[in-house]
Amino acid sequence: MKRAALLILAMLPGLAACGRAPELDAEIDISHVVGGEPLRLDEGHYRNAAGEEFTVGRLRYYLSLPRLRRADGSWFEPRYPAESVDAYHLVDEAKADSRRLRIGGVPAGEYVGIEFLLGVDDARNHGGAQTGALDPARGMFWTWKSGYIFLVLEGTSPESPAPGGRYSYHLGGGEPSLARRVYLPFGERSIRVEERVKPTVHLAVDVGALLSAVNPVRIAQLPEAMDPVAARPLADNAAAMFRVDHLHHEPRRRGGG
Amino acid sequence: MRRRAVILLPLIVVLLIAANGVLRQRLADIIESFPTPRPAVPAGWPAPQYDFSSNPVTASGFELGRRLFHDPRLSRDGSISCASCHQQFAAFAHLDHRVSHGLNGANGTRNAPPLFNLAWQPELMWDGAIHDLELQPLAPLGNPVEMGEALEGVLPKLQSDAEYRRRFEAAFGPGEIDSRRMLLALTQFVGTLRSADSRYDRDELSAQEREGLALFRRHCASCHREPLFTDYSYRGNGLDADSADLGRSVVSGKAEDRGRFKVPSLRNVAVSAPYMHDGRFDTLAQVLRHYASGVQDSPALDPALRGGMALSAEQQQALVAFLESLTDEAFLQDERYSEPLP
Ligand code: HEC
Ligand code: HEC
Repeated sequence: MKRAALLILAMLPGLAACGRAPELDAEIDISHVVGGEPLRLDEGHYRNAAGEEFTVGRLRYYLSLPRLRRADGSWFEPRYPAESVDAYHLVDEAKADSRRLRIGGVPAGEYVGIEFLLGVDDARNHGGAQTGALDPARGMFWTWKSGYIFLVLEGTSPESPAPGGRYSYHLGGGEPSLARRVYLPFGERSIRVEERVKPTVHLAVDVGALLSAVNPVRIAQLPEAMDPVAARPLADNAAAMFRVDHLHHEPRRRGGG
Repeated sequence: MRRRAVILLPLIVVLLIAANGVLRQRLADIIESFPTPRPAVPAGWPAPQYDFSSNPVTASGFELGRRLFHDPRLSRDGSISCASCHQQFAAFAHLDHRVSHGLNGANGTRNAPPLFNLAWQPELMWDGAIHDLELQPLAPLGNPVEMGEALEGVLPKLQSDAEYRRRFEAAFGPGEIDSRRMLLALTQFVGTLRSADSRYDRDELSAQEREGLALFRRHCASCHREPLFTDYSYRGNGLDADSADLGRSVVSGKAEDRGRFKVPSLRNVAVSAPYMHDGRFDTLAQVLRHYASGVQDSPALDPALRGGMALSAEQQQALVAFLESLTDEAFLQDERYSEPLP
């Protein structure tokens, strides 16, 4: 028994080497904007659809379970071990490297769109103690009512009646859930995943849309939305924040990923 | 030098044990009298809700959880531990405090419930806001009127403590002390606080207590269901016409749930005064008077309690006598749950 295991172990590197199909990937790059302008934390002054001036101090959200759509309508869904939290990604405007994520193990081919969940799915939202992006120490976990905060937008506005002119929107929880599936077709073009070509999908994510896409929000009337009932109008705006800005292909470095 | 001691010590112990049969017996006795509590299901009980298979209880994991539970360093200013509000002699409730006292004497809004048989609870807290036992400690830790310390504050304290580093490694293997490990250890402790050994369980009731049990089954057991003495539903038992505490409605978003709370277990109820979510009653006699003649109507009120219950003074006494038979002395004195020696 033991010997058999050793034998297999000894053979592993060889097996891996001869059967190696290069691991292909695609990348997602995110830029945050407000209307037409790039988002600058604390410094940029913007106006929402209602004409209210505001700044943004914090923007964080979960982008989870990404998958790619093929032209025939089928999907490539990355498979992860049950315990893994690799399918969950915490985007934080304050952390540049969090605005880039990689989808690994993508089979070579052409893909016409991308889908992901803005938030955390019920299974993980109702799971026990977790790690990685889902570690409660990341500060995206509600303790008064357990569950993840899917999206945080905070800042100031002269229109806000709250202390310090602050406004705070925390989206999460809800029945049905405030998490939103977002599908973004690439349109005319598509991305090609090839041994020699690596595609990057550039997303432009518009904070302005969160405040106005479907349900226009007035900061003067809603300086705080910290529970699922108050935050539902914002959640219904949230999917409209995302659009594909452009697609980009570049040569893959040989030997590397 | 250290290395040699590490090798020599067990050797000496082994030699001593081999040499001395009496000593060996004593050691075995001591070890036997402190076995780690394991998740077990008493005969006739339903299956628990918390699944220990993903967090297997070990001696070192349980001991670590016990230490964390009793350690005031988990609070921001080092003054409050879990055990400050959850005291063993009160079945891990907070004796004498209507609503819990935390940091700087700040008052919370709710009465600290007793802690036992938690593995059977589908949801935690008076309003069921917390759905998983593992995540419960995040609530008191982060609450400014309880322990006031965020995870970002607690973890570095544990990580910089050599004793904790050793204990976490013993419990979970090499690796960082992270929030998950801390929560799993606490769960091994609070999740194995088991109380199932009262006189009621041993069927040692007096005539009056037996009469109380019969009344209990008629009037109370529909909500306080045996053997756990709760059906874990959220109900209104008529405390207020207009509840100040939103109760279950905070979680469900339903207006009629305002003033509804989780039906509490009544095991050890005689030692876990005061009573109700806001600790308004000090004695069981007051509770019985409430059910007999103090029930207030409201949209939250359970139909079973509308108009109160016809309970004579003797019947109320018999019910109180029965409730007192639910005290589990062995649990209250179980040294495995008490504050560990430093
Ligand atoms: C300042 C007092 C205080 C401290 C400190 C405290 N608790 Fe509590 N605990 C409470 C109160 C009050 C509740 C009920 C809260 C509610 O229902 O909203 C509670 C509820 C609980 C519950 C849920 C019980 C049930 O039946 O639903 C558990 C489990 C628990 N506490 C464990 C802990 C642990 C573990 C710690 C330490 C990390 C801790 N508590 C620290 C006051 C406290
Ligand atoms: C309709 C359901 C229902 C019935 C019937 C019922 N109770 Fe309760 N009981 C509750 C609820 C709900 C609470 C918690 C209420 C709160 O704190 O707001 C409670 C609380 C209690 C408490 C306080 C426990 C604690 O730890 O704070 C006691 C004691 C009690 N009930 C005893 C009884 C007795 C004795 C009877 C029968 C005479 C009875 N109950 C009948 C629902 C019920």
